[in-house]
Amino acid sequence: MNKLLSRFPRENGFEITLAGFALLYLLLFAGLPLLYNIVLSFQQVDLMEPATLLRPFAGLANYRDVFSRPEAGQVLSNTLQFVGLSLLFQVVIGFLLAMLFLQDFPLATFMRGLFLAGWIMPGLVVGVIWKLLFAGDYGVLNHVLTQMGILHSKIFWLSDPQWSLYAVIIANVWLGVPFNMLLLSVGLAAIPADLYEAAELDGANAWQRFWGITLPMMKSTLGAVVSLGAIMTMQQFDLLAALTQGGPANSSQVAQYWSWQLSLQTFEVSAGSAVATLMMVLVLIVAVIYVRSTRNERMV
Amino acid sequence: MDQATHRIQIENLSKAYGPVQVLKDINISVPEGRFVALIGPSGCGKSTLLRTIAGLEKITGGTLRIDGQIVNDMPPRKRDVAMVFQSYALYPHMNIEKNMSYSLRLKRSAPEAIRQSIAGVAETLGLGHLLERMPRQLSGGQRQRVAMGRAIVRNPKVFLFDEPLSNLDAALRVHMRAEIRKLHHRLHATSVYVTHDQIEAMTMADHVVVLRAGQVEQQGAPLALYEKPANKFVAGFIGSPAMNFIEGVVGPDAQCVLFGGAARQQVELGRALPPGQPVWIGLRPEHLRLQGEGQSVQGVVDSVESTGSMTFIALNVDGAPQPLLVAHPGTVTAAMGDVLKLYIAPQQIHVFDKTTELAL
Ligand SMILES: Nc1ncnc2c1ncn2[C@@H]1O[C@H](COP(=O)(O)OP(=O)(O)OP(=O)(O)O)[C@@H](O)[C@H]1O
Ligand SMILES: [Mg+2]
Repeated sequence: MNKLLSRFPRENGFEITLAGFALLYLLLFAGLPLLYNIVLSFQQVDLMEPATLLRPFAGLANYRDVFSRPEAGQVLSNTLQFVGLSLLFQVVIGFLLAMLFLQDFPLATFMRGLFLAGWIMPGLVVGVIWKLLFAGDYGVLNHVLTQMGILHSKIFWLSDPQWSLYAVIIANVWLGVPFNMLLLSVGLAAIPADLYEAAELDGANAWQRFWGITLPMMKSTLGAVVSLGAIMTMQQFDLLAALTQGGPANSSQVAQYWSWQLSLQTFEVSAGSAVATLMMVLVLIVAVIYVRSTRNERMV
Repeated sequence: MDQATHRIQIENLSKAYGPVQVLKDINISVPEGRFVALIGPSGCGKSTLLRTIAGLEKITGGTLRIDGQIVNDMPPRKRDVAMVFQSYALYPHMNIEKNMSYSLRLKRSAPEAIRQSIAGVAETLGLGHLLERMPRQLSGGQRQRVAMGRAIVRNPKVFLFDEPLSNLDAALRVHMRAEIRKLHHRLHATSVYVTHDQIEAMTMADHVVVLRAGQVEQQGAPLALYEKPANKFVAGFIGSPAMNFIEGVVGPDAQCVLFGGAARQQVELGRALPPGQPVWIGLRPEHLRLQGEGQSVQGVVDSVESTGSMTFIALNVDGAPQPLLVAHPGTVTAAMGDVLKLYIAPQQIHVFDKTTELAL
């Protein structure tokens, strides 16, 4: 082994090799499929010849096709709501829980641990659990809400087009809260206690300490949590598959699921790739924002 | 003095964390404009006492008054006290100006008034050119100044300092010590200053409180503590290098102390003590002389260290748990193994009861 290592040039030879392997891996298993997907989205795909690479160039026809479909507007609006509302509630609830568990009360650590249990379950399992909770006639949620007097008639969460998207969002929020809470807890715990003490002596009440110290000190963590949450929400698939499959009548259809349906259920591969490529661009934009926010982290 | 002239009045204060009693029966009065130093070994409760004054720790017994008003249950932000933390605790996300103006902005002072008072304080502390910088872009000494500036800007009733100089190097510490003293001279701000450095306490304070294990051992003017320590602990704690102790017994004539085992030695005290009483005698290193008159102690030279201006000689003397240290001005020619005789005036000899350790 030593002989092998000594054959590399003294400077960084070993490191360059390691980095090379990592790059090669990325290129093969992440880069190529992405590239292939982008290429597909500009081609006219004939399912009779799935193995060829050289297909007729279609220009932007696939993109125009996607946007001209009747459901396009709804999918766009659904996707924005799905990502926006999921993020909003995940971050706000996660932040509140993180602050709650930072307080010193009995079993705080234990309860925080419990919250993570939901996180280790596969999305499909979570989907099935929520399907039971949401069920119209025998669902737990309806039962509880009517018992509490909040509801007077049952809501058919998953089959009512008015509610299906929000049902999916609720389940997704539930799935995302532990992750948000965990990252935000770490950020909160890293704020030195003497800053709060100094602020208190400077005359700040709890509310002013939150706006003057906590929030600005959490800026980079929040940036990271929001970007990662956006990416994870835009990737959310299992939950949708388990709960509504985009239905009924596309009422809970979102871009990532639509792309999969187009490509692999109705075999309109070109349209599916076009949607996937658009999603990729969005994720990329968020990723850049994320990288920038973590770069600023060192300044705080 | 009556209550009104006392800025801070601490009566029978105690503080416990669960079953652990950290402060016991503390009584301290700080008149307005006074500079008080709290001093004691690590873990004795100095920071805790300071934090109870600030309101960051709740007291579990006694009363605490600021300007005559009981503040036992008053939250920190209502007490009008400012604190300089050991870590400085500057707000990392605010520049220096924002750091110093935070309290004024919370009070919704007029922007022009804020600007003026910041400019004034920055001028005093030599921070004028740093106002736009972030805390991370400052050196330790500069951060220390900003922390002080943040307190001064508020013009509070009381300044609290928790070992503010302990993160600075020796030269800067001496410099800042003088700066703080000058500032206090000018502002006459009532200050409580925690330190474990007795030189800081002695040189800066009007009044020194010596704490041990959560209790006040002695308090008073710095020189009073140096000249008349109430017990062996204070005697050993105040003064640098520390006082030497030798175990002995009051002689049959009640006027002298015998010590030194087989090589029997004795010192005359010039006052009477009960014959046969076991005692500690305390001799300050700077009071021992190689020539002179008065009482003498004999020992064998263990080591000699010279700094040019001072020579430190350690002597082995029977009955002394540690070698006797002599701080002699100038250079002294002595070698290891030499037998030396040291002289001291009788009134400079301290005597403490062997068991109670109280001064006799
Ligand atoms: N939150 C706490 N819970 C229990 N004990 C504590 C707590 N804070 C401090 N103590 C104890 O109180 C005692 C006094 O602590 P304090 O920090 O006041 O000491 P100090 O004199 O400031 O020491 P140092 O010079 O090391 O700063 C210590 O024995 C410490 O262990
Ligand atoms: Mg301390």
